[in-house]
Amino acid sequence: MMLPVVVRRFLGRVWDVISAVSVRAKILGLALGLVLVLGAGITVQVRDSLAAIMQEQLDDESTTTARDLAARTTDLILLNDLVNLQKLLLETQANNPDVRYAFVLDAEGQVLAHTFGSGFPLGLLESNTVRPDDHHNTVVLQTDDGLIWDTAVPIFNGRAGIARIGLSDARLRQSIQVVTGQIALTVALVLALGVLVATTLTWVLTRPILELVRVTRAVSNGDFSVRVKRWADDEIGDLADAFNDMTAELARTDEIRSEREQLRRQLLERVIATQEDERKRIARELHDSTSQNLTSLMVGIKTMSATCKDPVMQSEADKLRNVAAQTLDEIHNISMRLRPRVLDDIGLSAALEKLVSEWQARYKTPIDLLLQCGPQRMPAEIETAIYRIVQEALTNIARHASARAVSVLVEERNGHLLTVVEDDGRGFDSAGKTGDGHLGLVGMRERAELLDGRLTIESSPESGTSIYVEIPLKGAVS
Amino acid sequence: MKISAIFLLFLLIVSACSPGLTTQPEAYVDLKDLQPLPTPSQDEVPLRVAVAAVISPKGTVESYSALMDYLSEKTGRPVELVQRRTYLEVNDLVERGEVDLAFVCTSAYISGQSQFGMQLLVAPQVNNETVYHSYLIVPADSLAKDMADLKGKVFAFTDPISLTGRAYPTYLVKQLGSTPEAFFGRTFFTYSHDEAIYAVANHLADGAAVDSLVYDFALSRDPSLAEKTQIIHTSPAFGIPPVVVGPDVRPQVAAELQTLLLEMSDNPNGQAALKSVGINRFVLIDDSAYESVRSLLGDVTLPGLP
Repeated sequence: MMLPVVVRRFLGRVWDVISAVSVRAKILGLALGLVLVLGAGITVQVRDSLAAIMQEQLDDESTTTARDLAARTTDLILLNDLVNLQKLLLETQANNPDVRYAFVLDAEGQVLAHTFGSGFPLGLLESNTVRPDDHHNTVVLQTDDGLIWDTAVPIFNGRAGIARIGLSDARLRQSIQVVTGQIALTVALVLALGVLVATTLTWVLTRPILELVRVTRAVSNGDFSVRVKRWADDEIGDLADAFNDMTAELARTDEIRSEREQLRRQLLERVIATQEDERKRIARELHDSTSQNLTSLMVGIKTMSATCKDPVMQSEADKLRNVAAQTLDEIHNISMRLRPRVLDDIGLSAALEKLVSEWQARYKTPIDLLLQCGPQRMPAEIETAIYRIVQEALTNIARHASARAVSVLVEERNGHLLTVVEDDGRGFDSAGKTGDGHLGLVGMRERAELLDGRLTIESSPESGTSIYVEIPLKGAVS
Repeated sequence: MKISAIFLLFLLIVSACSPGLTTQPEAYVDLKDLQPLPTPSQDEVPLRVAVAAVISPKGTVESYSALMDYLSEKTGRPVELVQRRTYLEVNDLVERGEVDLAFVCTSAYISGQSQFGMQLLVAPQVNNETVYHSYLIVPADSLAKDMADLKGKVFAFTDPISLTGRAYPTYLVKQLGSTPEAFFGRTFFTYSHDEAIYAVANHLADGAAVDSLVYDFALSRDPSLAEKTQIIHTSPAFGIPPVVVGPDVRPQVAAELQTLLLEMSDNPNGQAALKSVGINRFVLIDDSAYESVRSLLGDVTLPGLP
């Protein structure tokens, strides 16, 4: 069913208001709203019904009293017994508290007797008339004393005159007011009870919900040990059970995950350590054995050239010696890249200075190197990690950045080792390229994280790249 | 705080939603605005006619209104019918000249004539006679055969000075050697003959003495009365209740009224008016017609009677 737009908009507004308030306000509002609507409805209904019934009764009473009066006045009028006529009127008034006034007109319309004392409200004479053959005529008059049901009854078919009687609705109004007041009082009491019940209900309902909220926050902060208390054996109790089951499951999953992470980390450490050891061994092998052999080869070729008088042979020997010298250089370079001895023998600062100077020499791009980490050695794994990260970063710059200037900063600050590599090159969208696609970056990050460090990359197209690495030293400076 | 505000809102809704009393008044009258009543302006001096309470005030109005209309038509003056509860009160009106004409009871005439000179004007003729009787009546199912059987019973008198309604039954009791107070168990006054008949018919009284004219007339109007009452005794003939004027009325006026009443039976409207009162015509009557009543009243003592 399609509702008109206006109605839907209105319902939307109502829902906005309802949804914005707390459960407590919702329940209170519901309870009080129901009581009020019911109370108002009943009050209005009872009041209207009562008013209608009582008005009808007043109308009947007015007619009956007037008819009775007319019958009793007949002889008194015909006998001209005005004293008893007025006594009768006064008695009628005294015996019926609703009677505001009574008076009798003779056949000519002259007032014979009345209950007003000295003087007579002349406006009353014209306000109601009755024909001799009528049963009666009742009109409702507005007076300074409220509404008056005024009934005129012809006496002795009008031959003796007309009896008039006025019944006030004051008692009727009073009765209605009393009833309305009593209902209002009842509504107030029910309202107070409603507040009490609604407050209790709210407390019963919201206590487990608030408990759930507290525990959920604890769980989202990683505390899987907390449990919700099952307050009641109802839907909310079921929710608490389900929540506890879920938390237990989460705790188990988290345990498995952290075990796996631990394993992966150990594996990675071992891989990296093995890789470094292997590189170190190969580099030493190349340096100690292969380089020595090549040096011996060069010495032998030189000796051979000196002893040989044949200029052709001498020329060939020199060429061979040059080839050997180049090969020695290359081996030296390979050894250097695999694992610079200076890193093991002197330290990170020297190794980085050597790395930077070789890189500048090779790629002809200036590097501003700033080292503020003191002369003392740091743990070997940290030095290796920083060295490898800077090495990888420089390799990336050389390959992709087309940078005109590069700066490398290594600084010890507040128990952390901060490393920053910046270039003014092409840059890239760092938000999109930190994933698996760039294994170089992943490897850098893994090295940092293995040491409980953090690696962040700031880059955007055409505005260079900055790599920040922060690794805690944990007082492990040696 | 919030709740009291909500409750106030509730009261507001209740008082606004419900007009309470839905009746719309037709006019406004200020009941506190009391003013002196205007005195009726009397354009013409009315002819005031008193009718003694032989029958009840309503019955009198019903019976005599045609006669009053006739008088009004003939005299060209408005006619005011004046009634009083007792015969003596009517006699007072006649004595003071507050009425121009009066239909009185026989005993009231005798009393007024002797006390202040009440004057006979005419007398009605019923069944071509100018006499009437007192009927002693009892309920139809009563076993009483005469006054002696009513000893210790409840007896209804009509007027304190009525001839047929009080003087004659008192006379009958006196013949039995007693007084009404001692003879009857209880007595009360009805102040009119038709209500005395009503009292007997409805067993309010075990017996009553009533005007034969009223009884016959009532019977002709309501035959069911014959099934409820029975006559156990009829008095000798008495002079019929006359029409009188006061002692100070001007002779010319008295003569005019007398002529007017005497000529009623010659006029169709007059005949109709006479019929509604149950009489044939008005005739002249002499004071001697009331001598038998005077002698009877001499035997009983009633307050207000000579």
